[in-house]
Amino acid sequence: MSKNNELVDDLVAKLKRRQLVGSSAVAHATLKLLIVVISKNNWSTCNQLLNVVKSVGQRLVQANPTELAVGNIVRRVLHVIREEFREAESSASTNKNQSEFHAAPLTTSSSMYNLLGETNSIPDDNVQYPSSLRSNIIQEIREIKDELENIYDSIKNQASLQIHSNEIIMTIGRSKTVEEFLKMAAVKRKFQVLVAESAPSYSGQDMAVELSKAGIETTVIPDSAVFAVMSRVNKVILGTHAVLANGGLVAISGTHMMAAAAKHHSIPVVVCTGLYKLSPLYPYDEDSFNVTFNPDSVLGFEEGDLIDKVTVTNPYYDYVSPDFVNLFITNQGGHPPSYLYRLIVENYDPNDHTFDL
Amino acid sequence: MPPKEKVESTEQVLQAVILADSFDERFQPITLETARCLLPLCNVPLISYTFEFLAVAGVQEVFVFCCSHSDKVKAFVKKYEKSSNMKINTIVSQELMSVGDAMRELDAKQLIDTDFILVTGDVVSNMKLDQVLEEHRARRQADKSAIMTMVLKKASPQHRSRSVGDGSLFVLDQGSKECLHYQPVKAFKSTREDRRMTMNMEIFDKHPEIQLRNDLIDCQVDICSVEVPALFTENFDYQDIRADFVHGILTSDLLGKTIHFHEVSDVYAARVRSTQMYDAVSKDIISRWTFPMVPDSNLQVGDCYEYRRGLVYKEKSVVLSRTCVVEEKVVIGANTQIAERAVLSNCVIGKNCIIGANVKIDNAYIWDNVVIKDNCVVQHSIIANDAVLEQGVTINKGCLISFKVTVGANTTVPAYSRLTALAEGEDDDSDAELISDPAVVGATGRGRSFTEAEGSDDEDEDEDPKNKQVNMLAFDMSELLLATKEQEDSASDFESEASDLEEDQISPEEELDREVAATLDRAFQDGHDVDIAVLELNTLRMATFSNFKEMRKRVIPGVLKHIDPAARPGSGKTAKEILNRWGSLVGKMIHDEEDQLDGAYVLQRACATLYQDVAQAQRVFAPALRYFYDEDILEEDAILEWYHSEKSQQGTDVERQLREVAVPMIQYLEQSESEESDDDDEDEDEDSE
Repeated sequence: MSKNNELVDDLVAKLKRRQLVGSSAVAHATLKLLIVVISKNNWSTCNQLLNVVKSVGQRLVQANPTELAVGNIVRRVLHVIREEFREAESSASTNKNQSEFHAAPLTTSSSMYNLLGETNSIPDDNVQYPSSLRSNIIQEIREIKDELENIYDSIKNQASLQIHSNEIIMTIGRSKTVEEFLKMAAVKRKFQVLVAESAPSYSGQDMAVELSKAGIETTVIPDSAVFAVMSRVNKVILGTHAVLANGGLVAISGTHMMAAAAKHHSIPVVVCTGLYKLSPLYPYDEDSFNVTFNPDSVLGFEEGDLIDKVTVTNPYYDYVSPDFVNLFITNQGGHPPSYLYRLIVENYDPNDHTFDL
Repeated sequence: MPPKEKVESTEQVLQAVILADSFDERFQPITLETARCLLPLCNVPLISYTFEFLAVAGVQEVFVFCCSHSDKVKAFVKKYEKSSNMKINTIVSQELMSVGDAMRELDAKQLIDTDFILVTGDVVSNMKLDQVLEEHRARRQADKSAIMTMVLKKASPQHRSRSVGDGSLFVLDQGSKECLHYQPVKAFKSTREDRRMTMNMEIFDKHPEIQLRNDLIDCQVDICSVEVPALFTENFDYQDIRADFVHGILTSDLLGKTIHFHEVSDVYAARVRSTQMYDAVSKDIISRWTFPMVPDSNLQVGDCYEYRRGLVYKEKSVVLSRTCVVEEKVVIGANTQIAERAVLSNCVIGKNCIIGANVKIDNAYIWDNVVIKDNCVVQHSIIANDAVLEQGVTINKGCLISFKVTVGANTTVPAYSRLTALAEGEDDDSDAELISDPAVVGATGRGRSFTEAEGSDDEDEDEDPKNKQVNMLAFDMSELLLATKEQEDSASDFESEASDLEEDQISPEEELDREVAATLDRAFQDGHDVDIAVLELNTLRMATFSNFKEMRKRVIPGVLKHIDPAARPGSGKTAKEILNRWGSLVGKMIHDEEDQLDGAYVLQRACATLYQDVAQAQRVFAPALRYFYDEDILEEDAILEWYHSEKSQQGTDVERQLREVAVPMIQYLEQSESEESDDDDEDEDEDSE
């Protein structure tokens, strides 16, 4: 138990200090921790286990609320736990029509019927669960882990469907997903990539270096030139930090400008993202999932006379509303923004949107 | 056996030493009641930032040195330790008066066995030390004499996070990253030494290229080797780590130790050394220069700040009324309530505060549980925990309102006031009653104004008071320069009160009078040689930029004073005896004819003024004149000129009568002169023949 707490404290501290950032890294770390928490803790009922995971999840989410992948992974795990308990319960109570019972909660949980009908979708605590339950849950969570590990493969396999020969693709910032996607496409097709340099982090420059190493014809353009060259672009392919419940993006600053320019020129905007970035949270405030960094890279701290007189902000992310996005390419295939609600229902339990105990 | 030790040394835990005491009084009266390092900075205790900084650097073990309010520091550290993965030891010592004492204590206790990070308990920084540590270790491997690495940050001279009074001048060698010379720089350079820098010329031999830098913020983050505490023990008079230790090590030829530096530019580092720095660092935190150490990172367990546009940070449980205006750069702590039409800008408000209607708060730092009632105005001040401002109070800029002070309704607190609710002269246990001062805190108020002198004043006495003032909250440099003039005007009032200060206020002439008299008294009493007395007098003359004329005016009466006209021969006090012993002293003050003439006048006047009775004066004057003539101190030409001059015939009756005393001598002189001239004529005649 204390060992667990130490691990949790450690991850909380790392998240707080921003020693661990980036959706992918954070998701992996969270999942690894949750596996330990579930396997080491003592629990006998569904609620007990849910509460253990929720309390850990709450701490992790509070440690850095802008890393939405943490919450997503915790929700996925909670969802898996519920499913497993349901399954165990149904197999314990009756051995017949197992598959029917198994399917039932999934179909009803999201329908209007569920609101009016029985709500005790959480299994009864008195049921004696089979001893294999723990290992089953762990097994399911490992599957999430596998999914995370194979995310790039399943996304990049769709590349040749999206990118055609001699197209001009525009992107911004450095996204591992987009990078893999483009590299894969380059195996079969020949196309050109324009990368906006993404000031003040200039991560677009790193991206361009990576792409050109892979033999893709790459051009770095300043952020201010995005609109000017947009008319020549065939497709905008974006990475993102998170996808919100309405299909909006939290992506590197400059993305909104690029997406708006694309919309102006009626150029399709494709977002490559793993499903673990899909969050059931809704952006009530545009700034709510943003991070404002040290303004040093915008205006140097050495400029002592100036910084007294001006307020400098350096937001790291942009919120891009869903109407700018045409297509999401996830590890489960391509989806329009309007379909995301469905993915949310499939992956997360509606009770888990907040981690209040 | 040795190989095993080596393995251990690579696995040694990284240790850090925090000096939690500030050893100064800039935050008084607030620091009378709590430790400096526990003051809330953006609602988080100051030392938390330091702990966080060290935790990020990978420090595993921390030693916290504290002296004043050690129980509070200890309790806080204990609580903090639970939520951190560092091992934190608190070392309490009531005798700690300076950094030097802490280092000696560290050496005595032998707590440190490896290179360690030395910081003060008020450092706020987001820099990563791994690179500095690596550099330091590599240097140590190559050269054992590299005992310390200082971390310095570049910033423009007018930078707000530069402490105005605590500048430093570094002489650096960029090639070897070595610091060659260090000198602290004061804001106001009152003495000549302040304006000058002396540097060992040998530096130029060893280092072909050096830099003199004044654009570095020194936030006193040092990587020290184990030798550093030992060196403090050896040099028991070292107090300050910079002014004494660094300066001492670098100017010492014997030690042969070197001190290096590491310059950082794109990270934040500052020290909350004064109220002015408290203000600047708070603003830097709110403006996110310290990212990721910002309020919405929620460093403190239990905090839940959210970031809003316009650099507003708000806890979830804050109650904002519909019409209140929260402008830019505001931090509001948990459970605080802001009433209608209140306007907040550039301020930090703590937990559980109640801000009334129509209150205006600008640039202020309001700590926990403060109640500010309707229609108050607070400008650029610090208001500590549990203070109450009744209705309609105005707090002008630069005020420090300490714990539990109540300011009565409709009171205006003047700028730069310091209010405390502690009874005068109160120590920890005395139960003196607080006598509230209605003139300061209003009729219903509780508290009194705090004066600096109460605290034991161990600041340098020769410190320019202006240097203290520039560190104050909200201090305006232009205001200071204007105020200086007024201050000088009012200095005369001061004089009558403080007798110690008299020395500075008297005219140089009076001072010379006193000094000469003192020197002569000493010489007479201790029976010095004339030569020594002359040497002393000459030094005095040069020190006061006076001339021989001035000296004669003082020395001649000074000598004559010791003559007792009524004394019998053999007592050592007759004119003859005194003059035989000390007369040549006067001679040393007389060089040419003009001097002689002047000397005669002075002699005449001195005798007249020293002895009221003419007979007595004559009894002194005659032998004196005689003596000076015999000794060729006053030659006959000078004496004659004196006698015949109009000046000698004027003056008081006594003076004129004294002139009469000289008559026989003059006659004798005139006679001998004419004889002489006859002789001369004869000689000439002989020659011509």
